[in-house]
Amino acid sequence: MALPKSQPAGLSRRKFLSVSGWVPMAALLLLALVPALSPSRATLNLLTQIIILAVFAMSYDILLGYTGIVSFGHALFFGSGAYLVGLIIKHSEPTLGYLLLAVLGTLLFALVISVLIGYLSLRVKDVYYAMITLAFAEFFLIIAQKWRSVTNGDDGFSFRVPTMLQHRVVYYYLILAFVVVTLVFLRRFIHSPTGRVLIAIRENEKRAEFLGYDVLKFKLISTMVAGVVASLAGVAWALQQQFISPGVMAVDKTIDALLMTIIGGTGTLYGAFIGSGLISLAREYLPELAEIHPVFGHWYILFGLLYILIVLFFPGGILGTFRGFPRKRKSQEER
Amino acid sequence: MDVFVNLTLSGLSTGMMIFLVASGLSLIFGLMGVLNFAHGSLFMWGAYAGVWVFARTHSFTLALLAGMAAGAMVGWVMERLTIRRIYGNVVAQILITTGVMLVLNELLSATFGPNIIATTVPPLLAGSWAFGNIVVVKYRVFTIVVGFLVALAVHFMLSRTRVGIIVRAGVENQEMVQVLGINIRQVFSLVFVFGSALAALGGVMMAPAIGAVNSGMGIENQMLAFIVVVIGGMGSFLGSALGSVIVGLAGAYTAWFFPEASLAVNVVLMALVLLLKPNGLFGMGGE
Repeated sequence: MALPKSQPAGLSRRKFLSVSGWVPMAALLLLALVPALSPSRATLNLLTQIIILAVFAMSYDILLGYTGIVSFGHALFFGSGAYLVGLIIKHSEPTLGYLLLAVLGTLLFALVISVLIGYLSLRVKDVYYAMITLAFAEFFLIIAQKWRSVTNGDDGFSFRVPTMLQHRVVYYYLILAFVVVTLVFLRRFIHSPTGRVLIAIRENEKRAEFLGYDVLKFKLISTMVAGVVASLAGVAWALQQQFISPGVMAVDKTIDALLMTIIGGTGTLYGAFIGSGLISLAREYLPELAEIHPVFGHWYILFGLLYILIVLFFPGGILGTFRGFPRKRKSQEER
Repeated sequence: MDVFVNLTLSGLSTGMMIFLVASGLSLIFGLMGVLNFAHGSLFMWGAYAGVWVFARTHSFTLALLAGMAAGAMVGWVMERLTIRRIYGNVVAQILITTGVMLVLNELLSATFGPNIIATTVPPLLAGSWAFGNIVVVKYRVFTIVVGFLVALAVHFMLSRTRVGIIVRAGVENQEMVQVLGINIRQVFSLVFVFGSALAALGGVMMAPAIGAVNSGMGIENQMLAFIVVVIGGMGSFLGSALGSVIVGLAGAYTAWFFPEASLAVNVVLMALVLLLKPNGLFGMGGE
């Protein structure tokens, strides 16, 4: 498993030759130039949202694309990150110090919860993980809705962010830095020996187990990494919106992550950006087309169909298919 | 004592309603290993179809039939177009059925609009009997009876009929059944359609009990059904029935004695069962 750094495994070499070389760099450069080229508030807001959601989708990709487990409660991490930062800042001062405290609290919370849920659910079968994460996410959603004295229920609450972050362009660059750091970290994680074991588990769990790997431990690590990154994305989301309502924790958010990951391409990380861009743009502009044909008002039908077609016929998603080597069909798992 | 009887009745009836939803899920998972995330959508299609027919014909029997027909039809199309292609691939199944859920839910809200649609209990079943302080709501008794009948019928079908034997054999060893010259795929389709119809039946029954249908009821009840199946053990029909009753009763008692805890009780129950007996109370042994 542990390969020397100079000799990356086959998968990563192919990736290096195809997309991950200059395209992301060019994209980053382009993104960095946006405030200079088109400083419109709406563009910046939309781009910031797309990037934050892409980070969320990348964290989901760690679970789905690199470990092969499906979570239906990923919004729990996103939402709890948002709520924690909102609540801590609301009840203290909007300074960078308290923000840091909130981020640390979020990290701790995500670690504890992901281990707890993972330990309860991953010991049996993967399918349990999907259902149990859904149940836990719903449980936290109910807390957010019913604990009115703290969360203000369905109405949500707004809060002030540190003055430095109120400036759109500053925040945009901060998010850009955030996504670069996350991307580097996640790529390092995937190409680390631990990440390789995760891919082995995805490809054939039994074989990984017989090779002597503690599958539960590695899956727990995967859920921890995914949970932490998702909750940081939640923090970023809250700071951008400056308003929080239970919607951030609803199952729709998880399904968004699922759609973004699948449509963009599972097991690619970068696919998250394509998925996030497509979904955010669709959400922004398709309802306006509803006057032409009512189906655009219910654009979720279109995305649902696109998603089903992709799962059935293009398991590599847009990016995987575009790269020309769609990921090998998952071996028929034994029940 | 009166309180206890009332709570038990109400809990039993809620449990039976959950059981109707969970039984289909349990059957489909038990035989086919397909975790159907669109199960709640089938439930909702049943509920909407039932309400729609009941509003027009004022016949609850017709509503029940129409709901089950709608569920069976949608389930059949779904099995044909998607599930059939991905037997054995658990991750793809979860992903596909989620996509189907999105499409089915959105189709409903496109047809009926996003708002709550109110409905009533059929006149014959409306009202309640009072014995001293014990109030017996007629519709609750009706759900308990229907639940028991369905449980008995399915149990009878599984244990006494030829189809049931094939289904049980298929759970044990698919290949062996295939070798014996039985088209197991066809049996799978049949079970899927039947399970979908059961989910839809649950929907039709639930609508009058809560007095309305809304677009969130699918996912809510699907989750309850999941919790019940986890508690009872995957693939155990009896387990699902018992799990439903436990969840129903626990919900009713906690709602009365500790209202604050009532929302958490299901998740706590599930966590407890998973900690102590990860395969559920009657699970057939995991891997």
